[in-house]
Amino acid sequence: MGGNAVGQPHRLRFLEYGLTILIVITLNFLLPRVIPGDPFLVISSQSAAEEEIVLTAEQREFFFDYYGLDKSIGEQYVAYLGGLLRGNLGFSLYYKEPVSRIIMRRLGWTAFMVVSSLVLSTIIGSVLGCISAWHRDKWPDKFLFFKFIVLAEIPVFLLGLIILFVFAAGLGLFPLAGAVTHFARYKNCWEKIFDVLHHACLPVLVLTISRMGGMYLLSRNSMTTVLKKDYLRTARAKGLPERRVLYRHALRNALLPIVTRVFLSLGTLIGGAILVENVFAYPGLGLLMREAVRLHDYHLIQGIFLVVTLLVLLANFFADLVYAKLDPRVNQTNMQGG
Amino acid sequence: MTVENKYLLEIKNLAVTYDHVHPPVKAVDGVSLQLRKNECLGIIGESGCGKSSLALGITGLIKGDEGTVTGEIFYKGKNLVGLPESKLKAYRWREIALVFQNSLEVLNPVLKIREQVGEPLKTHYNLSPAEIDQRVVKLLEMVGLDPHWRHHYPHQLSGGMRQRVLVAMALSCDPQLLIVDEPTTALDPLSKNEILRLLQSLQKKLGFTMLLISHDLGVIKKLTSRVMTMYCGRIVEAGLTSEVLRNPMHCYTRGLLNSSPNLFKYKDLWGIAGEPANAAAPNGGCAFYARCCQNGESCSTSRPLLKYVGLERMVACHKGGIETFLRAEGIKKTYRLKNMNVEAVKEACLEIKSGEVIALVGESGSGKSTLAHILVGVLKADAGQIFFKNKKVKGRWATKMLGGMQIIFQDPFSATSDRLRVREVVREPLDIIRWGGKKEREAEVNRVLQMVQLPVDADFLNRYCQALSGGQRQRVAIARSLITRPKLLIADEVTSMLDPSTQANLLRELKGLQNRNGFAMLYITHDLHLARKVADKVYVMYQGDIVEEGVSFEIFEKPAHFYTKQLLQESFRDLI
Repeated sequence: MGGNAVGQPHRLRFLEYGLTILIVITLNFLLPRVIPGDPFLVISSQSAAEEEIVLTAEQREFFFDYYGLDKSIGEQYVAYLGGLLRGNLGFSLYYKEPVSRIIMRRLGWTAFMVVSSLVLSTIIGSVLGCISAWHRDKWPDKFLFFKFIVLAEIPVFLLGLIILFVFAAGLGLFPLAGAVTHFARYKNCWEKIFDVLHHACLPVLVLTISRMGGMYLLSRNSMTTVLKKDYLRTARAKGLPERRVLYRHALRNALLPIVTRVFLSLGTLIGGAILVENVFAYPGLGLLMREAVRLHDYHLIQGIFLVVTLLVLLANFFADLVYAKLDPRVNQTNMQGG
Repeated sequence: MTVENKYLLEIKNLAVTYDHVHPPVKAVDGVSLQLRKNECLGIIGESGCGKSSLALGITGLIKGDEGTVTGEIFYKGKNLVGLPESKLKAYRWREIALVFQNSLEVLNPVLKIREQVGEPLKTHYNLSPAEIDQRVVKLLEMVGLDPHWRHHYPHQLSGGMRQRVLVAMALSCDPQLLIVDEPTTALDPLSKNEILRLLQSLQKKLGFTMLLISHDLGVIKKLTSRVMTMYCGRIVEAGLTSEVLRNPMHCYTRGLLNSSPNLFKYKDLWGIAGEPANAAAPNGGCAFYARCCQNGESCSTSRPLLKYVGLERMVACHKGGIETFLRAEGIKKTYRLKNMNVEAVKEACLEIKSGEVIALVGESGSGKSTLAHILVGVLKADAGQIFFKNKKVKGRWATKMLGGMQIIFQDPFSATSDRLRVREVVREPLDIIRWGGKKEREAEVNRVLQMVQLPVDADFLNRYCQALSGGQRQRVAIARSLITRPKLLIADEVTSMLDPSTQANLLRELKGLQNRNGFAMLYITHDLHLARKVADKVYVMYQGDIVEEGVSFEIFEKPAHFYTKQLLQESFRDLI
């Protein structure tokens, strides 16, 4: 394989990613500035109930000047880009803390929830989907299919509320909110881990259930399609054992769309996480984002958006890599494209 | 078991029904065949005639949720139908292997060639990975593929290479029976020939028995010794390949031949009219009924069985295959001149079947016209017999009927009377046999005149023949002969007076009739260019003798008689 033939599309890929990131950053910069209102209408008030401090015109001017908001959009944009290059996401107007530090603190919780529900939903969904396809139109398939169609259609916040009411409020099996028991002292690290898992159970469960239906349908569909392919007939004609036909010949091919979906679904999954975090008051990025939007905390909003988009892009990138590993035909298309 | 010694594969009354679609499709319907060891049997037919289903049925690859297989398949004397999947696995690939029809999908896109070719070895012989790799290298070399390709994926190979991989894969376990499905579709001529040579040499070397499925008659001709024609899941004709291709006896087989450019290089292509019927023929008639050019009443009501009509030759047709319209035996004619005898026709024998265009070629004075005149009863033969549709011709009954025999004479000036009007000349045959009323006869006159591209206005119809040009008069003569809708037309140099365009149109019109209605024609000419374009068979006449006869693709490609060679050489030397 010539270096040029392969190098060209790869360079193109990176250019694509670079351009996407730049567009994202630009949008990110502009979006908060088109939200009606400004950050100094509400400042330092701890809750909505508390009386809001209304700043005088001089004070507002001072803050505008202090945060550079009185400069032209162009200058602000350049300053923003410069800051980003130094890894500076800005300073939260509300929390009075660097945005990056706040995000890092919260990111872990969201990542933990998203990744574990992604793994769970993918495994459960695709295993059941494959089983369904192998027994198509027999009772396991009919049963699963009906169940998952229903599950896939319930909105995630509704599901969250129901589960919260039943298991946490009603049965009291799980904590109502938060990620850890506040002010708890743990005897050992196992106890801490248990506490964290105990809190994470319901949010992860809700998120998993909400993703599982889609995964199930996708893998059932994918497997069904693969089972009809000529190469499976070839495999059977060769007298191969059923195991080999299903796992080596069918599954390998059926997995392709599932893998892509896993990575590409990260975006929607984070969207789902925002809703779930709000329902369970789980201290992740989603909850933070809601607060930031409510408070017009430009820098924080921008920071969260940016981090989330970069994560999604990163997931995309990984999807490309893994897909190329799994499907040898992908490289070929690149070669032809170059 | 005696069966074991006689046949490697014997199929009795095999049926494959896809009953999970509505309505159920009977893809294979009562097929029986025998295959001896080392033999190569071909199966031909249009797409969707059930060829591939037959292959899948034999290997038991039609799953229970797709369709059902009934009948018996004896492989080495053991019936495979109804065996459970686990028992069938032992036969698959080790005994019976398939070379699937080439497509990207037939090989697994995500597995390397090495794995796909080698995995049956692991399953059936439990070889070690190193042994398998060795064997894969050998197999790829055997099919003429560089072994390094085993490290690649199917999509990285060209169509021809994939076909080789499919062959290598099928031969990996040294099967006794190889079923090959369309081995050359979508291949360029070079790779196609290579694959054919490869299959031929491998069969010689490895001694497997082959069942070859193809719609490419060139492939069939090259590889098989026996051939079966399949239509709507049934075998309609079976015989030795060379015989069937030279002399098809079922209209469907002939239709396939006429549609194959590689057999008739110069002739026009004519596909079989109509769509293949649904296999479930509604009233149990012949499945080919709707498309057949000689269908009769019995054909629509009862299903013809495959019956022997000759040695090693079977046809499923109520009429015993393509009908013979005209048979002439031992025709002799001597003209007595003042002091010498001229033997114009010496012991000529001739046969014209339904739907055939036969060219009778030869130089002027070779006796062609005399023979033609004898055939229609214008001249009396000194000896010999003539049969029209198997009935002896005596008197003029064969020319005095609708759907009979007609002749167009060479010279239109003597064939049409100067003193008759166009309409009278053309109508005359109907007047003679008192067919229909005046109006109907006039309508027929209009029809045939249009067919030969003559005007039908009153002015022209009332013109005297005297006032016509040579070409017009020739066309009037042709129209006259077509008015009784003859089944057999004997045309003596009829187009020589026509301009090329009219000649082309007329011949296409007649060829159309041939394909639709089984119209046959004895076309007497010395224009070999034209003969090559239209004729299915050729008779060569020389000094009153028919010196050579045969299928046009053979006569024009490989003439045997010195006179034919000379004639062809003279005709095709320059393009004039």
